[in-house]
Amino acid sequence: MLDPRGVISVTQDHYLALDVLIMLLIIVPTGIFIVWAMRHYRRDGGRGRHDARWDHSYALEALVWGIPILTVGVLSYYSVKAIYAVNPYHPTIMARATHAKGPLDIDVISTDWQWVFIYPQQGIATVNRLVIPKGVPVHFRLTSATVVNDFYIPQLVGMIDVMPAMRVRQTLLASRTGTYEGYSANFSGAGFSWMNFETQAVSRSAFRAWVARVQGAPTHLSYTAFDQVAQPTINIHGRVAYFSQVQPGLFRHVVAQTAAGKTYPTPMAMTENMTRYLKAQARRDAHNRD
Amino acid sequence: MLVHIDGPWSPLLGRLALSEIPYNNPILVGTFVFAALLAVILVGLVTYLGLWRTIWRDWLTSVDHKKIGIMYILIGLVMLFRGFMDAVMMRAQQAMADGPHSAGYMDSPHGYLTPYHFDQIYTAHGTIMILFAATPLLVGIMNILVPLQIGARDMAYPYLNAVSLWLTAAGAALVMASLFIGDFAHAGWFGIVPVMELPYSPGVGVDYWMWAFQLSSIGTTLGGINLLATIVKMRAPGMTWGRLPIFTWASLSANLISLSTFPVLSVALALLALDRYLGTHFYTAGLGGNLMLYNDLFWIWGHPEVYFVILPAFGMISEIIPTFSEKPLFGYLGMVLASLGIAGVSWGVWLHHFFTMAASPAVNAFFSITTMAVGIPTGVKVFNWAFTMFRGRLRFELPMMWASAALFYLLVGGLTGMMNAFTTNDYMVHNSVFVVAHFHMMLLLIVYAIFGGVNYWFPKVFGFRLEQRFGKIFFWLFTAGTAVVFIPMFTLGFMGMTRRLAYVAFPQWRPLLDIEVVGIVIYLLSAVFLVAQLYVSFRDRAQNRAGLDAWETSRSLEWMTHSPVPFYNFAVTPEVHARDERAWRVEHGVDTVRPERYEDIHMPRNTAIPLWLGALSFGLAFGLVWRMWWLTEVCGLAIFALIVIRSFDRDTDYTIPAADIERMERAIRDVPSGRPVVAGVRGAVPAFRQGV
Repeated sequence: MLDPRGVISVTQDHYLALDVLIMLLIIVPTGIFIVWAMRHYRRDGGRGRHDARWDHSYALEALVWGIPILTVGVLSYYSVKAIYAVNPYHPTIMARATHAKGPLDIDVISTDWQWVFIYPQQGIATVNRLVIPKGVPVHFRLTSATVVNDFYIPQLVGMIDVMPAMRVRQTLLASRTGTYEGYSANFSGAGFSWMNFETQAVSRSAFRAWVARVQGAPTHLSYTAFDQVAQPTINIHGRVAYFSQVQPGLFRHVVAQTAAGKTYPTPMAMTENMTRYLKAQARRDAHNRD
Repeated sequence: MLVHIDGPWSPLLGRLALSEIPYNNPILVGTFVFAALLAVILVGLVTYLGLWRTIWRDWLTSVDHKKIGIMYILIGLVMLFRGFMDAVMMRAQQAMADGPHSAGYMDSPHGYLTPYHFDQIYTAHGTIMILFAATPLLVGIMNILVPLQIGARDMAYPYLNAVSLWLTAAGAALVMASLFIGDFAHAGWFGIVPVMELPYSPGVGVDYWMWAFQLSSIGTTLGGINLLATIVKMRAPGMTWGRLPIFTWASLSANLISLSTFPVLSVALALLALDRYLGTHFYTAGLGGNLMLYNDLFWIWGHPEVYFVILPAFGMISEIIPTFSEKPLFGYLGMVLASLGIAGVSWGVWLHHFFTMAASPAVNAFFSITTMAVGIPTGVKVFNWAFTMFRGRLRFELPMMWASAALFYLLVGGLTGMMNAFTTNDYMVHNSVFVVAHFHMMLLLIVYAIFGGVNYWFPKVFGFRLEQRFGKIFFWLFTAGTAVVFIPMFTLGFMGMTRRLAYVAFPQWRPLLDIEVVGIVIYLLSAVFLVAQLYVSFRDRAQNRAGLDAWETSRSLEWMTHSPVPFYNFAVTPEVHARDERAWRVEHGVDTVRPERYEDIHMPRNTAIPLWLGALSFGLAFGLVWRMWWLTEVCGLAIFALIVIRSFDRDTDYTIPAADIERMERAIRDVPSGRPVVAGVRGAVPAFRQGV
């Protein structure tokens, strides 16, 4: 998180540093004053004069209230400014910068416990792997087929709740190529700890080549296929999958299905014996491949 | 009507079957053997010493606010130990299950706990520490102190007070029962929906969590009513609002919070119960349910609850620092306003628990500012404590050590709190261990205040001071443990590590996680010295006997009666002349004046009904958890019957004649100085035995 590689995360770190600096301006002197008072006025060996009646001073009390009010005022100003700057729906920090290439749309659906990334413009989809071009704003639409997750790529963008039957947005722009870790930050069940997805920011030409390659993938993603992917799966081995010919409007369909009461219940077996459940999962995977 | 649940169900046992007893899990079997041994030893000891009668008559059926307070604190300590052991297990798991090549034991792919088991442990840790450790400890301390500080004989509703205690005890018992019968919730202490809904939590764990929370919530609401009524109506003559001790002000603010927010929690949980039992759709993802409704309702309680536990802690610090600075509290009025301010602001900040829900910037901006505003009264308190020490004459005895160390926690907690209140920072660290480390700073502040408060008021309640040497070793080890656990945790938060990981995917975090394990071992070691401190204090209690004023520079009303406090608190209701009454009397040389004459004292009578209500509530909740409908119905009817019977009982009080008071007062004064005076322990003065 302290090594940001995206416009949004750089802005967030900038405000973080500002916030910490302002707070340290108050907290360090206060800490020093307390330590000094503790030493100076101690009964055994302290040099301070004891005044058993002193319990009030208008000037000091004005200071005592004034300093926190002032600090909170200043911090509030910057906080509000920062909120608008990295607003997930419309980050002003990115509106200001002009970008030659139009935004890339990606639809994100979290399942129990995997990530499905749909590239509607390209008609392709990936599971547990996000590939984005460098220097192009990426607009996400996010929803969940089951429970709440948090979409989080520490080096690129902060957390956003991914909620079932609801749609939220997120925006990011990777300024450098590289591989970044992304994961769910909000507990979502037994497979939560394995909900990682590698994020690859690549050059624009490499991205085009990658898209072309995935468009030739033999497996297609219809809603029926998605239904299979969304079955409770603990992705313990970090499996990745690619799909071409994604059914148009799949994202909207999943939102509507979830709103209409579609769930993917967690099997009781999972709550008892992990090894047995993982074996059952492996059997199901093998069956699906056949 | 009722939701159909897959799996076996019988009319007699409901969902309960032999397979629900985790006899095949070595950890739980070990815990059970340990708990059973402890129980056998305790029962044997009590029988050997012949204490059953005393325990029943003087404790279990007591309505005395001090004894109820002590029992609250005992519950809190037992649950604190349980919650701490959960923490040890979590630290061990994360250190072991690190990286794809880490080994797995006992059916787990990595580490020694399966994810499902690990998830239950952290849920139990949070639930226990907040609701069954911090809350009972603080409610217990408020119970003991508030009536003493305002010169009252007891709480406004002594019977209700006992009912609150036993409801909380029933909730705690329910959490403990889930260890050995069935399982516990796995969706976090605050309950993540829709994970809490039936499709994603088909077992009984969530039901255990829900009903334990509910019982404790009802108990605390009743306790809040009681403390508010006591403070408003039961003050001694002359105790004006401007003279109210600062701890009592803090309790008043805290209970304004509890009365106004705990009912919201009860409603939130009741709606969840409807979802799980009747198949409604309040919080489900689809079919018109709205999971954000739960988040709103829960955190409208959840955040004020944080201040409900922190305000009494601030109150204790505000009492301890002036005593050991040998001067009055700086800025009394400012402190009172700050306490009420914290209570007021607490209702308007809940949304910062889900800043990341993608609300519009205007919404996030509003809650960012209100959250920061909490920093104003809190900052005022820190400055006022600093200026109380300024021009003082400081003695660093144990209570003062704990209290002044708490100030530094507040500085760290304040810094990190302001970082979280800054919404865009929150986007980065919202569900990371940085936030976990932050709120542990705040809760450790409360723990420090509690240890300070316990050391400070222990002589008032038990009549002898706690030993200092082991106590100081405990303090320093505990502080070292905190540093070694939480500095790496803050660092990991910055590195992007999220909460609640049963498996850590990145081996580069391993060294820091290992350091945290070292820290938790230091904590374990410190607990040994706490036990040593308590043991030595008890052994040498005769030498450490305390007089009226154990610290010689105390300031408030509770230090004007005997230590330990007789069951009627004050032989004669004190007349209050000043803000710090005890200090005022010492200054005017009237602190040793004996009353001219004694008067009859009107006291509440002991009753076993609250204990039965607690036991029946446990049965009711247990029946609901396992869907044993007959048990629920029987217990529900019995509760109703008991309440009706009690309401017709007119023999609920008695009067102690003035002559008896005089006799008991003389007996207390004439106790040879070496003789231990301990509540409920052999050799206690007769005056401590409450009349029946």
